[in-house]
Parts: sequence; C-alpha cells; structure tokens
Amino acid sequence: MDKKRTLRNRKVSERMAVVDETDRRRVIQARLAALEDDNHQGDDFAAGSDDDEFELPKGSGDEMEDGPSSGRKKKKVKVGGGMRKTRGMIAEKTRGPKVFRDYLEEAGLELLPEGVPSYLTAAVGPPRIAAPRKFCSVCGDMSAYTCTRCGSRYCSRRCHVVHTETRCLKFIA
Amino acid sequence: MQDVVVVDLGGGSVKLGSARQPDKPKVFPNASAKQKGERSSVVGEAMLGLRDVGGLSLRRPVDRGYVVAWELQRDILARSLRVLLGGVSPAACGLVLTEAYHNLPALREAAVHMALHELGFASVLLSTPAPLSLRWHAHCMPGLAANQAGCGVVVDAGFSFTHAVPIFDWRLLPGAIRRIDLGGKALTNFMKEVVSYRSINMMDEAYLLEHIKEQLCFVSGDLQADLRAARTRGSPFRCEYVLPDGLTDTWGHLRTQQEQEALAAAAAAQRAAHGPQLPKQPVLAVNNERFMVPEALFHPSDIGMDEAGLAEAVAQAVSAAHPHLHALLYSNVLITGGTARCPGFRDRLAAELRALVPDDYELGVYLADDPAVCAWRGGALLAASAQYPQLAVTRKEWMQHGAAAFAKWGL
Repeated sequence: MDKKRTLRNRKVSERMAVVDETDRRRVIQARLAALEDDNHQGDDFAAGSDDDEFELPKGSGDEMEDGPSSGRKKKKVKVGGGMRKTRGMIAEKTRGPKVFRDYLEEAGLELLPEGVPSYLTAAVGPPRIAAPRKFCSVCGDMSAYTCTRCGSRYCSRRCHVVHTETRCLKFIA
Repeated sequence: MQDVVVVDLGGGSVKLGSARQPDKPKVFPNASAKQKGERSSVVGEAMLGLRDVGGLSLRRPVDRGYVVAWELQRDILARSLRVLLGGVSPAACGLVLTEAYHNLPALREAAVHMALHELGFASVLLSTPAPLSLRWHAHCMPGLAANQAGCGVVVDAGFSFTHAVPIFDWRLLPGAIRRIDLGGKALTNFMKEVVSYRSINMMDEAYLLEHIKEQLCFVSGDLQADLRAARTRGSPFRCEYVLPDGLTDTWGHLRTQQEQEALAAAAAAQRAAHGPQLPKQPVLAVNNERFMVPEALFHPSDIGMDEAGLAEAVAQAVSAAHPHLHALLYSNVLITGGTARCPGFRDRLAAELRALVPDDYELGVYLADDPAVCAWRGGALLAASAQYPQLAVTRKEWMQHGAAAFAKWGL
C-alpha cells in the first residue's frame, strides 16, 4: 500500500541524518585532493588575506566603467606592477596559472594507440593482493566500527564521542 | 675539459653542483616562500637561511612532479648557478638536467629551451633520475651481476610521487614503469591533517612539518605489534616535539628524556612553593602517527586511495618486463629518493616483496647511502664520462633540428 503523500514537512533529527554514498565519496576525494596542495587552502576567503596582487574589491567600491556598459558593475582585477592590464593577464589571474592537468589534457594521451606507454598507462592500478585496512579516524588504532551517519571509522566508544562532537557531518553544514 | 653542471630537479628539493666537485652537491628547496605580512619572497637557496619558518606560504614550480612554472624555476636555478659558477659564464659549460618519468613533449621542449636559451648553457642532456641512480649504485657495488648488465629496478620515492622503474642495459623500460601518486608531499600533508586534529593546528606549517616528519617518522616492521604497544600508557613511541619560537630556535627540537624530567621536576617544585606555573611551550605530541604516516605509502588504501602499495607496484613493474629479465631485476632492487631516508624503509620493502616474489628468485634490496643525492651522484658520473659529449644536445643542434635532436636520447 502506498504511503499517502502529505504536505507536512518531515524534519529528520540531526542524530538520524545519514550522509549518502555520493557525498561520502566526494568528501574522501576532497581530502585526497588536499593532500596535493602546497599551501593550506582553507583560509582563502578569510579577512586580512594579504595577497597584494590579486584583489577582488567589494561591489560598492567599484568605479563605473565608461561607455555603454556604465549601467553594469564590473569587477576590477588588479595585476601587479601597475602595468597595462591585457586580457590575457586578467584571464590568467582569474583562471589561475597552467597546471600539470592542463598540459596532460593538451597532450591527448588517451588517443595514443594500444601498447604505447605513457603517463596514463604507468599508473599502478587498484590493489589486488590485500584488502584495505580500517583505522580509527580519531586515534589511529585498528577500528572495528563505522559511524552510521558519515561512514568514518572509530575504535571505541570514547573515540565515537569525540568524533560526533568534533567532526561528524561538519562538512555538509 | 668542459665543466658540466649537474642539476637534479626534484619536486621538493634541487640538488645542484659541478661534476668537477662530486663530493657535496648543494641541496635546497625547489620553491619560493613568502612569510605572512611580508611583501617579498625568498627564493630557492636563500630559503636555507630563513630563521623563522612558521606560517610560510610556498610557491612551487613543480606540479604533480612536472615543472610547469618555468619562470619561477629559472629564477630558482639562476640564483644558485651564479654562485656555483662564480665568474664563469654558463656558455662555457654543459648541463645534465633531470626530468620526470613519462615527461610530456611540450614540457621537455620547455626544459631544453630554458637550459639553452634562458640559462645560456652550451649543451644539455636530459635524463630521468633512475638510470643515474643505477649508475651510481653500479659504481659503488660493481661486483653485482645485475649491475654489470646495467639492470635493476629503481624505486624512486620522491616528493610528488613514487615510481618503480625497471632498467635494462642502462635504459628505461618505459612500458614497465609503475607510478603511485603518493610522495613525500602527500605524506607531509597527511601528517599535517592528522596532527592538526589530534594535537596542535599545524595546517599552515607545511614547511616546518616536513622537517618534523623527517625527525619523527619511521616505517614499522610489524604494524599490529607496534599499534598494540602504542595503545599502552607507557608507549615507547610517544614523543613530544617542542615547536620553534622563530627567534632562537629555527626548527624546534625533540624533547629528550632529561628535558622531560627536568621540566617535571621544575613543575613539581613550583607547585610545592605555590608559585605561578611556568608557561607551557607549544609542544606537538605524537604517538602512533610516527609509523602510521609512512604506512600510507605501503598501503594507500589506508587513506582511501584506490592504488596498490609500494611492494605490489614493484612486483607489477617487474612482471611487465620480459620474463627473461625477472631474475636479474629482482636481484637488484635499488631504493632512492628523499622519502626513502625514513628508518626501516628498506627492511619493510624487502619483507613485503619477499612475500610476492616466487621463492626461486633471489631478492636483493639495496638502499643507497644517501638516497636523496643518489641520482645527482650518478649524474656527476655521467657528466664526467665520455658519454656526455656524445649524448648532449648543443644549442646549434637544437636550433637546427628542434625536438628531433632528442633522438639520441632514445626519445
């Protein structure tokens, strides 16, 4: 028998909220991507960031552009040195310098015929000789349990309490 | 004889020196650092002289192991080259430069352009680090049969990634190279994340933490036993690392047993005299992180990466080579790279490999004396040998033939 669709809002308690598999995977990928950072990216938008070269001034501070576009506000991108800003320089500042991934895409290694060794074929595949081991995300010891909400591992009740109070579900807040 | 400069361009550090003085190359970070609040940045070798290493924001020319920011790379090298060469112009010298495995043609051309046009060398020879390391190993252990054949597996545990590179007749076997996308940088960031959660927030201190990681971490021989020992109250792995204050102590130090006892005695005396407690120095407390961090290289699945571990990568690399070579390759596994300096690395890899290698093959695992400088030393040997003039690409050849000149390198 189908449940009647109600208009009543159903609010799930915070303790029962479960993060689904896609979100869990996304969080793990974000953590792995952060392992490749040179600098901690978390505080990019904090106040007082003193990167003099690239500043996005707040909307009210912009001067109006002359000409037909005077009705719109444009973000000013400052390029260091007081030089004339070319479109290329502004594009680089907004898009960021070319990283290895860009060169890799340009090289088009996927189009190489079978059997030609390249950066892509050299990747060692998934592990085939051992299953992944599970460690507690709080203390690092062997873990036997999984948090029902977010999927992190823990080893004991004490670590579970620390986990729910500090880290669980914070990333989806 | 023309002087040849040898530069091992790594993701983490540059090893630079002249082939005429093969004893001690200069080793310095391959980055430019900017302190919070300062306008100017410190580049390359000058970073070694920094007194306050806290809160540094780094810019690296190398991304995922490949040099992409060539202006920055040129600035980092130019400075040190000027000091090394003294008054001599680079136009009178040759250059041996390393590149990463499976380098992209566009990046290779940019490297040669930088060497010949921007830095102004007379000729350049690009090589991956593995054959150079094997050359040095053969120089140190000439008796090994595999070394005489120029054959072996070089495990290059670097900053950006880790490769298992089978070599035969001093040449790479490109189809058999295997890569794990974990290196010293990822291990440092992993330790940073773990330590920031469990002890003190060090998320902005990657440069300092790299140094701490080298002091504290080791590879465990028996993980379960070590974890069990770490669980106890009197864990033998528990350590306290006193963080630097940036004035007198640049890098901080590991708190020794005597220091701990002295502090405990002083605290007890203060309490007895009902005086104010001494201010606590910021101290990083680590326990099982010391061996759990390098563990990720042997089992990347621990941190959620779907990649095989180091032992399996070596086994895959050898299996991808011709079956007749397997015995020779397994008898000469050479471990190089900065990450290999971790104590216990060699024994752990040998133990894990022994379980994967058929037991009628002899397994020989060797750790270079100074794994970080091994490739440079091999490069110095190559630069001083008669092969350099034959293999190097001169500026004239580059201008006439372009990338076709790389044919003499087998590319």
